[in-house]
Amino acid sequence: MKHSPALERLIDALRALPGVGPKTARRMAFQLLQEGRVGARDLAGALTHALETVGRCGRCRMLTEGELCSICSASGREGSLLCVVESPADVVAIEQSGSYRGRYFVLMGHLSPLDAIGPEQLGIRELEAILAHGEVREVILATNPTVEGEATAHFIGELAAKRGIRATRIAHGVPIGGELEYVDGGTLAHALAGRQAVY
Amino acid sequence: MSRHSRRVQLAPGYLLHHRPWRDTSRILEIIARDHGRLTLFARGVRGPRSRLAPILQPFRPLLLSWSGRGEAAQLTGAEAAGESLPLPSPALMSGFYLNELLLKLTTRHDPHPELFDDYHHTLETLKAGAPLERSLRLFEKRLLENLGYGLLLGSEAQSGQAVGADAYYHFRPAVGLVPAVAEVTGVVSGRSLLSLEREELETPEALEDARRVLRAALGQCLEGRELASRTVARAIVRRG
Repeated sequence: MKHSPALERLIDALRALPGVGPKTARRMAFQLLQEGRVGARDLAGALTHALETVGRCGRCRMLTEGELCSICSASGREGSLLCVVESPADVVAIEQSGSYRGRYFVLMGHLSPLDAIGPEQLGIRELEAILAHGEVREVILATNPTVEGEATAHFIGELAAKRGIRATRIAHGVPIGGELEYVDGGTLAHALAGRQAVY
Repeated sequence: MSRHSRRVQLAPGYLLHHRPWRDTSRILEIIARDHGRLTLFARGVRGPRSRLAPILQPFRPLLLSWSGRGEAAQLTGAEAAGESLPLPSPALMSGFYLNELLLKLTTRHDPHPELFDDYHHTLETLKAGAPLERSLRLFEKRLLENLGYGLLLGSEAQSGQAVGADAYYHFRPAVGLVPAVAEVTGVVSGRSLLSLEREELETPEALEDARRVLRAALGQCLEGRELASRTVARAIVRRG
């Protein structure tokens, strides 16, 4: 069945969302235009507002509407620790773990040599400026445990080392509540290599 | 050619490149020992519950299964092929470079088992911590041989005269070795050429000469296409 042009456009636009195929998009569009009209107006307003105001933090490249994000402008944060991650979602994940009180730097990607994504595309200039400032004593490399993430971590680790800053890589290992039997060989090898003394 | 879709079970292969496709899937560029380079659609291999995500990594020997032919083959399974060390971080950029050479210089569905074995061997030597430059040069030389562009390193192009260790030459892609005098820039020594022919490359001079000769020969095969991994590697060195 062919929808009216405006409805068709809305359905197409909704498919930009992750996990939304044509069927779900149609359901969403009908819902928004029937019972959900107030919510739909809010959504449209919020989307426009966010697009106009949200940019990147001038220091860590996290999404924010101010000059600095809430983490970079917070006074209680340990400025000597800098955690380098690939995406804003990684910042949220680490924040939710509640175990980190330092600052972040968001690369918005990883080195991907075959796609011509190199240092310039990852904001390395900004990162170098932070490292040159002298406050950071340790860089925590929390890029993903993929070969691209490893290559990125290695490169940034070298940048830090050249400035005499300690660089550490997050540990990779067996998930809590997991069973060794089902863990893949690569992860187990990492877990064994990174074993720690219990006393 | 049969019109029936076909199934391939547990074929030795490597993942060369991958890109996200839809929300939870990937498009894989693989090289299989007996099937050549091909594209596979891998459904549901991203995300927290994917069992294959940790296995489907470049530089790791794999056993790959797929079904369907042509451009729409679907990955149906993947296993790690035996024990294998990860590629050490300092060698990762070299690994990406090898992958890009294979992506750009091999044709789809054209198996080159010896080339695959050379690639496997090169990765193994890099994993064992061998010097990067020498491993890359030897791979480049064998890649050219496998693709039918093998270098004639033992004799001059026109006269067919044997290359002398103490003489100097110009290497011209598509022509070969042309005698030159030592003072001219861009010449390579006969000693280096013979060292490359014997796959020794034990001196810095031989390595540097081999790099220039192989780069010119590869440039000819690439027909003006840039290697993105080389550009990124240069940018990294500039930063370092």
